[in-house]
Parts: sequence; structure tokens; C-alpha cells
Amino acid sequence: MLLGRSSEEHSALNLNGTVRNDIDSGVEHGDVLLRYADAAVGHTPDLASSREALNSSMGPDAVVDCAATIANFQRMVRIADGCGIPLDSFSRQESAKWRDDLGIDGFRSRGNTFG
Amino acid sequence: MTTTTFPFAYATTDWPVLERMAEAHRRSWAMLAAPGEWWTGAQRVSIAAECRRASALVDGLPDPGPGPAALSEAALFAVHKLIGDLPNVTREWYDETISAEGMSDTHYIELLGVVVHIWSVDEFHRALDIELEPLPAPIPGEPTRIRPLGAKPHGSWPATIRPGDLGETEADIYGGAEYAANVRAAMSLHPDSVRWLSDLFDAHYLSWIEIGGEQEPFRVLTRPQRELVAARVSALNECFY
Repeated sequence: MLLGRSSEEHSALNLNGTVRNDIDSGVEHGDVLLRYADAAVGHTPDLASSREALNSSMGPDAVVDCAATIANFQRMVRIADGCGIPLDSFSRQESAKWRDDLGIDGFRSRGNTFG
Repeated sequence: MTTTTFPFAYATTDWPVLERMAEAHRRSWAMLAAPGEWWTGAQRVSIAAECRRASALVDGLPDPGPGPAALSEAALFAVHKLIGDLPNVTREWYDETISAEGMSDTHYIELLGVVVHIWSVDEFHRALDIELEPLPAPIPGEPTRIRPLGAKPHGSWPATIRPGDLGETEADIYGGAEYAANVRAAMSLHPDSVRWLSDLFDAHYLSWIEIGGEQEPFRVLTRPQRELVAARVSALNECFY
């Protein structure tokens, strides 16, 4: 949710590309980054090949940086959903225009955040 | 299996893991092994062991086995819920969990702190195909059982502490900031979990330098690239926030 607001600061980021693989995220190397993220979070058999694809495209330092980002948000989502932290009213209003497009209004954790 | 040392010897791997990450992971293991406010060191290591059992269960891998101390059914269930069934964590479930025998809101937040940080370090290893670090030997001692007096209801399920309500013993947890985002304050009922969060957040994602606008030189991914990945991880976990 809060990341949606960052897309307004970084005009290159197409939010729809964060949840749909058929839409270009607009971010350089976004396809290999997302493929690696999908495999790492899902613990899928594609993990090794997706990691190698990212390594070939961006190099080993980028793989480590991406792994750290994934690890960070595997933590943050559990804090958010484990504590039912509320979204402030400004973010609720601002995000309404793109929440439906992304399909995240259908997440069950919406009830936690909106109380 | 436990050990008294935790080298996090990344130099032997194929990946150029930054020393600042290795150091944060070593501090995580030291934090894990020590007695907390509401759980002993042995119980905390057992919570970590249960994280690995939950992950193995989800992935259909062999059971790595329990930790050194027995945990209540409610504690075991909470760990498995937070690892393997996050989209179905609800207010009702939280209320039931903290009302169970041997649990409370403070017990839950400290358990959550252990779960999320160990899970995060382990996920980093899994993403890079690095063997998981053996869990540490617990440090003997009793929990201090000190509840922060400034913790009050502020909209999250557990009570949290706003910067203006910080007491002497937790005065440092927001780094002196006058405002703390909800996600940063979420675990403030257990101040050490906030310190732990800040330490790993800084090593894995962003430091306050970068929040100020300047990308740190050791970062490789651009801010939009990292936020793209972050958004995808959140979406895969069906995290609305």
C-alpha cells in the first residue's frame, strides 16, 4: 500500500506491473527482478535459474541487493499483518484511485488495515 | 542443532554479501540467544526452530526438529500461522492467541519479533542458496517481564508507544525521531524488537541517509528497482498495508 505512493515520486514505476507479469513495470531490468522475487518468495524450482538470469543481467552485487530487499519485505509484511497496523486516512484516500486496479482491495488483510 | 558461535561466513559463498549484512546477522543471532522480556533464551531459540519447521512443512521438506525448550500449543500455532498462513491472520485470531494460556500481548509481540527476524535472515540465505546458519545456543537467564508504561492503544492490535511516551529504558528505539511510522512502532510493546527491526532494515533495505534522498554508494539496485521488488513481495503475501 505505502509503496503505491512512491510510484508518484518515481514516475517510471507502473504499479500494475508490480502485480501483473503481462504489464511492463517500466523499471529497468524489472522482468528479471520480478522473476527472481517470485521464485524466492514462492520457494519454487525456478529459483536457481531466475537467480542466474538476474546475475547475467545485473551482476552478483545486484543479486545480493535483491535478496536483501526480498528478505526485508518478507519481514515487514509479517509485522504489518501480524499487528493489524492501520493505514492513515490520507493514505486511504490517496490509494483509493489505484487499489481497485491492482486488485489489492480483495486481499483479506484489508480488513486488518481498515479495522 | 545449536552452536555457540555464529560466523555467517559469507566469504566462502559465491555471493559478495556485504560485511554490514553479515554483522547485522551476527547481531541477530546474539539477540536471539539472549533472554528476552517475556521468553527465556531457550524459548526464543525454540521459536526460531519452529519457524524453520513451519517453512519446511510448507515446502514439503524434512522436519528439522524442535528447539531446546517446549512451547505452548498457542505459541507453536502462532509461529506456523505467521509463516505459512499470513493472509488469514485476523483480529479474531490475534485476540484468541493472546488470551491463550501462557500467552499475552507482550508474549505475542516478542514472539513475532523473533519470527520475523529469523525468517528474514533465513529467507536471505534461501534466496542465495546459502546453507541456513545453525541456531545459537541459548544464553541462560530469566525474562525481565517489564512492560513499557507508555504503551497505549493507537489503532494497531497491540498497544504501541508513540515517541512522546517513550520511557528512559526505551528512549532510543526511534533514534530520537519525533514521529514513528505505524510499521516501525508496531512492535514497540517489546522495545528490543524495534531495535532489531531498525538494525536489519538498515542492513537489508534502507538507512536513514537514503530516506533523506541520497542513495548510499554500496547499494546496487536503484530505489525504483528495490521498490518494485518490495511491492511484488508484498503482493505475493497478499499484504494490503
